[in-house]
Amino acid sequence: MLDWLRNFSLGVWALIGLALASSVYLVTRPTASSSDHAFWVFARLHFQAYEPFIREWNEKTPEMRIEPLLVSLPAMERRLFSGFMSGTPMADLFEITQNVTARLISGPAEDIGLRDLTDLLKAEGLLDAINPPSFSPWTLRGRIYGLPHDVHPVLLTYRSDLVEAAGIDVNEIETWEDFVRVMWPLQRTGGAGGEDRYLLNMWQTNSELLPVLMLQAGGGFFDANLRPVLDSEVNAMVMATIATWCTGPKRIAIDAPEFSASGNALKIRGQVVAAIMPDWLAGVWKTDIPGLSGKLKLMPLPAWTKGGRRTSVMGGTMMGFNKKVSEEVFREQWKFAQFLYRSPALAAEMFRRSMIIPPDRNLWSLPVFDEPDPYFSGQPAGRLFIEQAPDVPLRVSSPFFNGANEQSGQALLRLVEYANANGVYTVEGLLPKSRELLAEAQAQLKRQMERNVFMREAQ
Amino acid sequence: MSKSRTPSITPWLFLAPFLVTFAVFTIYPLSQSFVLSFQQTFGPRSTVPVGFENFRYLFTDPLFWIALKNTTLFTLGSLCVQLPLSLGLALLLNRPELKGRSLFRLIFFAPSLVGLVFVGMIFSLIFEKRTGLLNVVIHSIIPQFPLEFPWLQNYVMLALIIAALWLYVGFNMIYFLAALQNVPGELVESAGIDGAGPWDRFVHVTLPHIMPVAGFVVLLSILGSFQLFELPFVLLGGSGPENRGLTLVMYLYNTGFVTGDLGYASAIGWVLALILASVTIVQRRISRKGEE
Repeated sequence: MLDWLRNFSLGVWALIGLALASSVYLVTRPTASSSDHAFWVFARLHFQAYEPFIREWNEKTPEMRIEPLLVSLPAMERRLFSGFMSGTPMADLFEITQNVTARLISGPAEDIGLRDLTDLLKAEGLLDAINPPSFSPWTLRGRIYGLPHDVHPVLLTYRSDLVEAAGIDVNEIETWEDFVRVMWPLQRTGGAGGEDRYLLNMWQTNSELLPVLMLQAGGGFFDANLRPVLDSEVNAMVMATIATWCTGPKRIAIDAPEFSASGNALKIRGQVVAAIMPDWLAGVWKTDIPGLSGKLKLMPLPAWTKGGRRTSVMGGTMMGFNKKVSEEVFREQWKFAQFLYRSPALAAEMFRRSMIIPPDRNLWSLPVFDEPDPYFSGQPAGRLFIEQAPDVPLRVSSPFFNGANEQSGQALLRLVEYANANGVYTVEGLLPKSRELLAEAQAQLKRQMERNVFMREAQ
Repeated sequence: MSKSRTPSITPWLFLAPFLVTFAVFTIYPLSQSFVLSFQQTFGPRSTVPVGFENFRYLFTDPLFWIALKNTTLFTLGSLCVQLPLSLGLALLLNRPELKGRSLFRLIFFAPSLVGLVFVGMIFSLIFEKRTGLLNVVIHSIIPQFPLEFPWLQNYVMLALIIAALWLYVGFNMIYFLAALQNVPGELVESAGIDGAGPWDRFVHVTLPHIMPVAGFVVLLSILGSFQLFELPFVLLGGSGPENRGLTLVMYLYNTGFVTGDLGYASAIGWVLALILASVTIVQRRISRKGEE
């Protein structure tokens, strides 16, 4: 019956042997211990800060060991999607940003792979302990799917050496209009071999800052019901104002990109007077541009109107939990999350490393936040961020955020081109065009959203 | 007789690794993506059949047309600038009297060793406003030239074509050089004796001999250009201002992996495959006619 086996040459047997040996190896290779729980982190700074605390946790609770793994955010996004979609191996706990979360919670509620934490947060009193705006990016249809890691309030940083040398008093600045008027003497347009200098790090191609300023003014991309509101009057006003900052005789903006050597060179050379600064970016500047130490100060963001909001929000991270994990194991993981996110020692360490303030209001009284920061000319930088934290605007998570950001960014770019082509450089002059462009952007966004059958069903 | 009836399993065993991997990694994903192109996905687990809706939407989607226009422009730019330049370099380096030919060949070919991502990084620094090499050099020669000249804002396609030119001109040159070295020297010499000038010798002797290779290089360039992704992705950090650097493959990537609409992304993929197949058929027909 097995006569044909005799036809096999030595080479065939060698191949079969190799196949069998590798199969046996794959089946019997050692895997992670069943008591290990993977925790994916995308930010190196977080990872480094967590390491000693996770070691301490693992020593105390060997039956629930946490295995941290540093994974790049795009890779983590793919792996999480793949895990939720087709059950490929994934972590039990993970830190993710708002954009990723928006996509993970975008389908019908029963298909969301993240654990709903709403009832637990309520039962443990965390809804009161944690700064309320920090929950908004992780909330969908009233349910909360993540434990907030941060607040990310936004301040304005400025070159105190230049400002003070020019005898400018920043206390006179309350609104953006004041900012332009008071800081104007520092503006230089170059010439005679001298380098030019502009008041604000901002550019029409930097679409990240547009939603930050829209939110500050009370606008934004979506309302609480996730309906797009790109074409609101307040958004049109903000966009028209930014366009006047970027072009024309009263231009105050310069393009000095973050995370870039050329952008940092412009900052060091004093060609940028001020920049919009969330807490995490302050940490990035401290690491990447040490040459500015002692030359900067922080102040609340100028408001859009007198008495208006003096801060905004930019970025955000949460800890998510895999819904497939059993209730019993999840309870242990929840304890770990509390141990990590509510630890005063870690909050202080995280602030020292990254300037990020925690969302837990009980931690805001830690002395570390009142320490004078030599980088910001001896100001208590932590306290300045914390003072603005309660006023951080609410955001909603929409899977169409990227689309809205792209549409509004293009509208701003077109508005600046329109201003240049027609020589219109005032907010009043640009407002009608700003409304028109945002209405087009809104229509395009709605078109994208309406073709989505899941959204139609949800509405 | 009995030997001929024995099932010959050995060839299948040897073929099995290829057949299995081909089925698992090519046939199955292709068929799945075909099915997906008639579905809509949203979020990680939700999928519903939508018939031809993805394809219908695609043809009314302004972003798709922008991506198609950009990709076609890049392809035309690459063909019209890159290939004549590659051929010119090959002709130059094919001259026996040129000293240091090997060194020049290495210099021109070297950029293609580094890959698109590296080129994207390098050129993002070169095209940088204020501190970029290009603006600084031009400004130092012509002081009126603005240091803030926005290459990567207003001249995206030109910047992409220049970057790709640097990368691929030497690569295509090697193909042309190999073809030129196969042109019989005695034919060129006879034409010269018969009184043909350099241009006539090139048009009537050299060009017909290198046509098959030229056709192959054109086809490779078209296929490569239509699949452009990494260069604009790295150079512009995405699709660039007003989607001026959005290509078809980037749109597919954004739709599938940023928005999460795998169904629509599959539809884009199949339309791209159809475009490439059509271009290939047309190009092959033209080449064959030329050869006849």
